[in-house]
Amino acid sequence: MTSTEATESIHPRTSFYENHGRYRGILSWILTLDHKRIGLLYFIVVMAFFFSGVVLGFFMRLQMLAPGTIMKPQTYNSLFTLHGITMIFLVVIPAIPTIFGNFFLPIQIGARDVAFPRINLLSWWLFISGAIIVVISVFTGGGPPDTGWTFYAPYSLRTTVNVPLAVFGVFVLGMSSILTGVNLVTTTHRLRAPGMTWNRLPLFVWAIYSTSWVQILVTPVIGITLVLIIMERFLGVGVFDPAKGGDPILYQHMFWIYSHPATYIIILPAMGVISDVVPVFARKKIFGYMAIAISGVAIAAVGSLVWGHHMFVSGQSDFAGILFSLLTFLVAVPSAIKVFNWVATLHKGSIVLEPPLLFCLAFIFLFSIGGLTGLLQGALANNMHLHDTYWIPGHFHYIIFGGMGFGLFAAFHYWFPKMFGRMYNRKAAKWAWLIMLVGFNIFYFSMLLLGWEGMPRRYYDYLPQFRNLHLTATFGSWILITGLIVMFTNLFRGLFKGEKAEDNPWGGATLEWQISSPPPTENFEKIPVIRHGPYDFGELERNG
Amino acid sequence: MKPEEEIRKTRYKTYALVWMILIILTGMTLSAAGMELGRWTVPIALAIAGAKSGLVLNYFMHLRSERLLIFKVIIPLVLAVFLIFILLTFSDLAFRGGVR
Amino acid sequence: MILGSLKEMDEVKELVSEEVRDDTGARLGMWLFILSEILLFGGMFILYSAYRYKNPVDFHHASRELDVILGTLNTIILLTSSLSMAASVAAIQRGQRRLSMVLLMATMALGLFFLAIKGFEWGTKIEHGIYPNSPTLLARAKGEILFFGLYYVMTGLHGLHVLVGVCVLFVMLILLLKEKINPTHVTPLENSGLYWHLVDMIWIFLYPLFYLIS
Repeated sequence: MTSTEATESIHPRTSFYENHGRYRGILSWILTLDHKRIGLLYFIVVMAFFFSGVVLGFFMRLQMLAPGTIMKPQTYNSLFTLHGITMIFLVVIPAIPTIFGNFFLPIQIGARDVAFPRINLLSWWLFISGAIIVVISVFTGGGPPDTGWTFYAPYSLRTTVNVPLAVFGVFVLGMSSILTGVNLVTTTHRLRAPGMTWNRLPLFVWAIYSTSWVQILVTPVIGITLVLIIMERFLGVGVFDPAKGGDPILYQHMFWIYSHPATYIIILPAMGVISDVVPVFARKKIFGYMAIAISGVAIAAVGSLVWGHHMFVSGQSDFAGILFSLLTFLVAVPSAIKVFNWVATLHKGSIVLEPPLLFCLAFIFLFSIGGLTGLLQGALANNMHLHDTYWIPGHFHYIIFGGMGFGLFAAFHYWFPKMFGRMYNRKAAKWAWLIMLVGFNIFYFSMLLLGWEGMPRRYYDYLPQFRNLHLTATFGSWILITGLIVMFTNLFRGLFKGEKAEDNPWGGATLEWQISSPPPTENFEKIPVIRHGPYDFGELERNG
Repeated sequence: MKPEEEIRKTRYKTYALVWMILIILTGMTLSAAGMELGRWTVPIALAIAGAKSGLVLNYFMHLRSERLLIFKVIIPLVLAVFLIFILLTFSDLAFRGGVR
Repeated sequence: MILGSLKEMDEVKELVSEEVRDDTGARLGMWLFILSEILLFGGMFILYSAYRYKNPVDFHHASRELDVILGTLNTIILLTSSLSMAASVAAIQRGQRRLSMVLLMATMALGLFFLAIKGFEWGTKIEHGIYPNSPTLLARAKGEILFFGLYYVMTGLHGLHVLVGVCVLFVMLILLLKEKINPTHVTPLENSGLYWHLVDMIWIFLYPLFYLIS
């Protein structure tokens, strides 16, 4: 892909791990300005919260294993609230942009770092601070929130648990998100290497770029909404309180104006990973590069118009319902375009069935199910029956976990050798994948069926008629968790005991594969001049 | 220095003129408030405020002298986003009683 | 057609990443941050428009209790501060450091003056028992409660931004003094100016929407 002047001969062997800058020890990490180190810092924190989120989910499923109860209803309310807050704000929204966006976007565009390295560090510190504030809210001021991660008014205004602190923590996390967005947009505009035109950017970069725009534009809306919750509780301002003329439905509008686009902040980066990985393991240029790039922008744009589909039964006007339902059907189109293009890329490709591709294939399958179930619930008449049933968490776990989650795992398995200079055990990775895929579908498909049968969500107990499906779901969750354990153990082992990895084990054509594994501190000995597209495998093979 | 980085120095006179127009527009919006404008009250107030903002954006904030495409795009973009949020929210608020 | 316009964006730059400083990039970053601030206040404007739409008469009544003279004075103060801010940047571009500092101090003074008037307005309202959750306010019509709720939150958030702005300008003043900001390095002052003008623009909308409803 690149005719670089320098990388054939000079591979600086000092990796960014060895070059610690001004400080030593832990300070060389938490005060670093190196985008790669910052990416790894996010990696550690996000994964820690992922594990906590899984543990919370485990206890939720344990409660739901059989009718009856092993905990107080209040406890269950707090469990699903914290599970949601943790997973959404501390894991799935930040994960790919902050870990892989930070680590790889600058390299993929041929830059030495992001546009604002100090702001990048600030973003991480805001992230940690927000996370700590949320954790503190669990143990102080009345206890953990029980409102659901959606904090609907007026309940969130009245419940005596520590809503203000939790909500403030999320506000701080939002600031981190906005600054990351500003950084990555500016980086993409200003720091592309010579010849790295917009139509030669890896699709991962396009995806992160689109995501960053959404982060900048919609996060402030939830920011102000959360501030208003705090104002409401401490000062009694009245904007969402019906007793003072406020409209709780307006809260929902403001909340979902962010939180629906947030689902695109969640999924777009994962789609970017798929778009980068599939060509490498099909040894074939991506089908319809421009269509995928533009469809990402379209998803970001149209996806900001559909938030009312969370509110069909809230009391909003029928007219709004019809409008939002129509827009929801429209947003499925660009996503379908991507799925089609990925499959078309695989068609007649030379398939290399390595773990990164397996996770991509799972993504395509699970995301499609999630997307189709989304269409079902996007129809007004269906929604009346499906809203607030298990169908909804069934749907969004297919999209978020099946989609983004497996996309994240694809990214782990694809970029692991580049980030750590080592390879994991591929066979173990494939087994982990299989176990997870089986467990996942047993678990979440049962949820879809439960919802279809009418099982309400956020209930701590249920009628005997639902027992079999709940049992199956819990059982599936245990298989899924087993798969996760196998996967993470394998990766962890690979980190310390894995074979040393080559610079380009997969034969990728994007810039990160043209530098050493792990990369040197400033990424490139000399900034490359780009003359070809990011999936030009033919060129790569010609260059040896 | 790259072409887009050339500092175009604005004249003090231009700033003073812009300020004068801003004050006049403020006067206009004040007197408009005293008039009976019915359903045009809000649109006119917003139009004047919009004109004032346009002056601040273009002259005080130098948006007019920015060359790159991205700078020309961002304000229309944020306006479009805001407009969409408000319009779609009103598709709920204005039709609670049903579509007439 | 798409590829055509992309080729317009296809500026094969010189080795941008090899340069130590990128003023345009710094400005772009500041503008993007400003976009997020516009939407932060935008969220509140959505609420304002919703509640004014639902309670037009109450909003009209409540608005009459605000002091139009003070509101107009504050508007003129901020507009003038934007003038001095822009002029301060122009001055240092021309190498007129002392003038730049004087204009910057004028901007800060005007900002503080604005806050003083705002504080005074708030003070009188609070004295009359009009503040969020006060018995006096709660006894009024729902629309009036909402009006004042929005008034306090929006002008409060705006005032906070003015205060932060004054602090930022103070830092810029020090940098000017130390000649860290000079004719070859104006960007920090420019960017601070962008922030200041944003704060002015928000008030340009707050003013008619709160003071001039009739």
